[in-house]
Amino acid sequence: MSLWVDMYRPRALDDLHYHQGLSARLKSLAASGDFPHMLFYGPSGAGKKTRITCTLRQLFGPGVEKLKIDQRVFLSPSKRKIEVNIVQSNFHIEITPSEAGNYDRVVIQELLKEIAQTQQVDLNAKQRFKVVIINEADSLSRDAQAALRRTMEKYMSNMRIILCANSTSRLIAPIKSRCLLMRVAAPDNTEMQTVLTHVSRRAGFDLPPDAAQEIIQDSGGNLRKAILVLEALKMQSPDLSGPLTIAKPDWETYCQKVANLIVTEQTPARVMEIRTKFYELLSHCIPPTVILKTVAEAVVSQVDETLKAEIMHWAAFYEVRMRIGSKKIYHLEAWVVKVMSLYKQSFYQFDISEFE
Amino acid sequence: MAPSHKSTKPAGNDIRAFFGGASTQKPRPAPKATQNPPNGSAKKSAIEISDDDEQIPPAQKASSLTPTSSLPPKSTVSPRKSDAPVPMPMEVDSEAEPAYKKRKKAAALLSSDDEDTPPKKKPAPKPRDDDTPPPTKVIRKKPTPLFLSSGEDEDEPPKKKKAVKPRLSKSKRDDDFVVSDSDEEPVAKKRPRLSKSKAESDVSDSDEEPVAKKRAVKAGPSKVSGKAKGKEEAPAKPNWAALKAAKLAAPAAHGTKDVPDGAPNCLAGLAFVFTGELSSFSRDEATDIAKRFGGRITGALSGKTDYVVLGDNPGAAKLAGIRKHGTKTLDEDAFLKLIATRKGSGKVDEKTAKKMEKEREAIETAAKEMETRERKAAKAQRSNPTAIDPSSQLWTTRYAPQTLKEICGNKGQVEKLQQWLKDWPSSLKSGFKKPGKNGMNVFRAILITGPPGIGKTTSAHMVAKLAGFTPIELNASDARSKKLVESGMNVNNTSLDGYIAGSAERDGVKITDRTVLIMDEVDGMSAGDRGGVGALNAMIKKSKVPIICIANDRGAQKLKPLVSTTYSLTFQRPTAQMIRSRIMTIAFKEKMKLPANVIDQLVAGAQSDIRQVLNMLSTWRLSSDTMDFDEGKSLAKMNEKYTIMSPFDITSKMLGPYLFSATSRETLGDKMELYFQDHSFMPLFIQENYLKTEPAKLRNFDGPMKQLKSLHLMDKAASSISDGDLVDALIHGPEQHWALMPLHAVCSTVRPASFMYGSGAHYGGPNSMTFPQWLGQNSKQTKLSRALGDVQIRMRLKVSGDKSEIRTSYIPALFPHIVRPLIDVGASAVETVIEKMDEYYLTKEEWDTIIELGVDERKDEQILKKISTATKTTLTKKYNAAQHPIPFHKASDLGKVPKKLPGGPAPDIEDVFDMDEPADDASDDEKSKDSDDISKDKLIKAPKKTAAVKTKSRKSRS
Repeated sequence: MSLWVDMYRPRALDDLHYHQGLSARLKSLAASGDFPHMLFYGPSGAGKKTRITCTLRQLFGPGVEKLKIDQRVFLSPSKRKIEVNIVQSNFHIEITPSEAGNYDRVVIQELLKEIAQTQQVDLNAKQRFKVVIINEADSLSRDAQAALRRTMEKYMSNMRIILCANSTSRLIAPIKSRCLLMRVAAPDNTEMQTVLTHVSRRAGFDLPPDAAQEIIQDSGGNLRKAILVLEALKMQSPDLSGPLTIAKPDWETYCQKVANLIVTEQTPARVMEIRTKFYELLSHCIPPTVILKTVAEAVVSQVDETLKAEIMHWAAFYEVRMRIGSKKIYHLEAWVVKVMSLYKQSFYQFDISEFE
Repeated sequence: MAPSHKSTKPAGNDIRAFFGGASTQKPRPAPKATQNPPNGSAKKSAIEISDDDEQIPPAQKASSLTPTSSLPPKSTVSPRKSDAPVPMPMEVDSEAEPAYKKRKKAAALLSSDDEDTPPKKKPAPKPRDDDTPPPTKVIRKKPTPLFLSSGEDEDEPPKKKKAVKPRLSKSKRDDDFVVSDSDEEPVAKKRPRLSKSKAESDVSDSDEEPVAKKRAVKAGPSKVSGKAKGKEEAPAKPNWAALKAAKLAAPAAHGTKDVPDGAPNCLAGLAFVFTGELSSFSRDEATDIAKRFGGRITGALSGKTDYVVLGDNPGAAKLAGIRKHGTKTLDEDAFLKLIATRKGSGKVDEKTAKKMEKEREAIETAAKEMETRERKAAKAQRSNPTAIDPSSQLWTTRYAPQTLKEICGNKGQVEKLQQWLKDWPSSLKSGFKKPGKNGMNVFRAILITGPPGIGKTTSAHMVAKLAGFTPIELNASDARSKKLVESGMNVNNTSLDGYIAGSAERDGVKITDRTVLIMDEVDGMSAGDRGGVGALNAMIKKSKVPIICIANDRGAQKLKPLVSTTYSLTFQRPTAQMIRSRIMTIAFKEKMKLPANVIDQLVAGAQSDIRQVLNMLSTWRLSSDTMDFDEGKSLAKMNEKYTIMSPFDITSKMLGPYLFSATSRETLGDKMELYFQDHSFMPLFIQENYLKTEPAKLRNFDGPMKQLKSLHLMDKAASSISDGDLVDALIHGPEQHWALMPLHAVCSTVRPASFMYGSGAHYGGPNSMTFPQWLGQNSKQTKLSRALGDVQIRMRLKVSGDKSEIRTSYIPALFPHIVRPLIDVGASAVETVIEKMDEYYLTKEEWDTIIELGVDERKDEQILKKISTATKTTLTKKYNAAQHPIPFHKASDLGKVPKKLPGGPAPDIEDVFDMDEPADDASDDEKSKDSDDISKDKLIKAPKKTAAVKTKSRKSRS
């Protein structure tokens, strides 16, 4: 038995529970035979991938669900081997170029050209083109994006590209202009409620509305998270009644601890302690932006009203720097020290900005 | 007279150029004018003189100068002429205004004259005497450059004096005049002029004419002497750039105090300890001063310490030491006073006198010994013309130690070596079974290691000779490959006959069992000597003669094989004390006058490399036979070896209390240079350790204020480090802006350190420096991230999320399914767990990864502790026993070489497009041709037809 989130995933466009307008448009696009390149963007857990798979099914039929994984090795210009996993069906291929790190350009160039230069072999296929799905498109390097540009135009007859990203801000304008932009917004509360009730009905129980609200509050628009939490809760207390305590994931409690450390003491020794904790989180593959966001929210909930805006401002400031820079820990630490300084100042009611 | 005038003028200009550097000149005069009356005038005069220079075109100047020598009869105003004959010339063709200026110049001359007459009275202290509040700014200038002080002599005090002279007693008048002058000047320029003209008239009236003349005459030589002095003292002064930087950095009293002209060696026999920060000297300067006057500097306090020089914020340990030993303490001023007042070595206390006497005697006897030896050698040479004349040899050979006594330092090691060699024959007989006293006798060979120039080779040779062995040396100049070592040494031939046959005829060395083989510069057995070390090692194992190997770096990879077969003997750098008497003997022999402190300086500069010291001295001897402290310092500086500091040392220096202190002499460039010693590590080290100091900037704060300011400093440092990372990303990014390296140096290293410097971050202790965690953590992150990638791709068939989604959502969600049952239920839950894993195509490997990725209470160690070993083994066994769905095969798992796509430079997209385009056209053309020929396609035909029609119509029209 898979987890519910995977088991009850909608497979066809008609089964989707929300963003009906989007589903209708996708359906008509798939039917029109003039299928454009597309860029799906939206927060994680909003249903981008689900919609992409549904669209593919609409285009090619159930054959697209027969996936196989292939591992390909590419050679970087410096003769380094790059291993890339490719998920494919007979009709489409899915790559995550960010696996190749700095060499994503090589992957894009080699792979796309290879696919684009061959035509659809299956004569029974509904469409003459193949589809390439590029995951995490917003982490494509600029070089790789530039490499995409011409390929997208030139091989239009053989291939359509579907980009999947969290935000369009990191994509260069030429790419955006070549794609049909599809925004998949996070579901709102009622939509989530519908989905959760649907899932619980399929799983064979009734979800009390209170519990549903609780879960929705906790998930913050991430439907994947909501369903996973639902299942976890169901495992904890099978009747889902009474006060529920939603178990936070390990990293979230850890971030909470960091926030507590920041608020309780502001000394160099404490900063070093926090540094160790940050290293722990980072090395265990928690994305730095997630860390910063979680810790910042936890800190803000514990401080004075006047400080909240400042703290969030600096969190945003250092988040940008994390994106531009390379060593995330430096910026995380700089933010922590900043917050500590601000906190201490407000604690002593003393403005130190004049101090030199 | 004329020449003297000429020479002063450019000097004046120079001074102004030095200080005037546009930016600095302006701010200085303002405070002076307010603070210090005489200075106001000084400034004015300075400015006016410069005006003067500008006004008078060179030609005019020249014309004006020429008359100077022979007092021009042309001059209009006679009194003026008489007043100051030297500067007069300018006046000749100019009117009232220049005249005034001239006077100033005369004054300049006079004043310098003045200065000379009372030799003890220095110009610097004078203004201080005059007005009670010592104007810091002005005085600061004073000690620095002699040039300046001489310049001031010319410009400022003179004026005062000149004006005063005509009136009555000097000193009284001085004050009066000065005050009035200062009052007037800021108000209007004209007024002073008036007053001056009055003064002038006074002068003219007075009958001092002859005196003035005389003075002017005197001025010439006096100036020269002043200059000479300047030259003498110049080397002691810091360079200008450093000075400027220090001035900018130093807040308060830096360089405000002059080093008194104490008697040479006035501190001889005294031991000093410095602690804390002096207000006007950096630590280095202060110790230099003490050394210059013969004092001894020690790091730690002991009963023998005579004085402790206390600065601000002295070390706690030192203070305790003072209390314990009851040592006398001095502050900065008292220290300087001590130098000024203490009489030279004549008054050294008895003990030191005796000691010095003894030393001197020892030196003399040693020199005599040397002499006799040399004479003998000379005699020998006469009888045997092939021998080399010692006087033609390099000092290093000429004065190489001849007896064990003459070897500086490493006595213990040399003795050990001697003992080993002495025991060697008996050790050989016993088959190297008896370890002997030092445990050395089980080794057939010894490996001597140590830095260059401390007598390793010399010791080896001498010990061999003294033990009655004949040394044969092979060094890097001989090829020592495996083959040559084997055949050359004839390792396999027990009698060494082969070797003897070759060499015996060559240089008359009879190789017997009393031969010792010295393999010098073993670490120099490099690429050309392939297998040399191995062969040497093999030889050592069988050798029937003692072998001494010599190398610099014991830890070198190349010497690994030798470690087990040789006894390692590490030679240390001898201390300056050990070397001193030897060098002094040599200097005595060479009739050089070298004070002990100079030798110490040289030894320290060469890092105890005796050979280098001797080479430096022999070169110096060619030009001079004396060397004073400063010369020694600069010589040592010139021959300084470029040392590479370890990142730990650099960090300790960067974050230490001195580099950024007010008295530090390092420029920004020097600080950045530290970053460039290891530009990839330094930022990491600074980031790792910047919070471990006790910032010096917080010294004067306490309580909450201290906490606030500490956080403020940390904030600044951290944000600077963050800046540095952005710069780093630009440098190592796709565009590689390497030109930003200096900026990176400042942002990542220098600036954070400038906030956080202070005591604390050093070796040892609870807050000791550590190696950057970032490196380890980063590689751990890469490793786990790759493992997470494997998990993600396996789950991909079921799950749509990317890696971070897997980590943040799925792993916590899967935990109750695939890990928790094992903890709660135990082995019986294994089956359900495996079922769940199969659902997501996870193998045992991925299960491990999922455990490893946990943090906090789901940290791998804790979780694994909770699962019983039995459960774990059951899981492994059961998993391995069953069949599992496999989402895909890893190319590497199958053992086949994965298909490689053509490598090489990836083609440029634009190029490809351009190349393909014509090809497409060609095919189109062909098609169209085909269609023309065969099928006559409608689509293709249509445009052609129209075209044809068009042409037709056109034709018809035409």
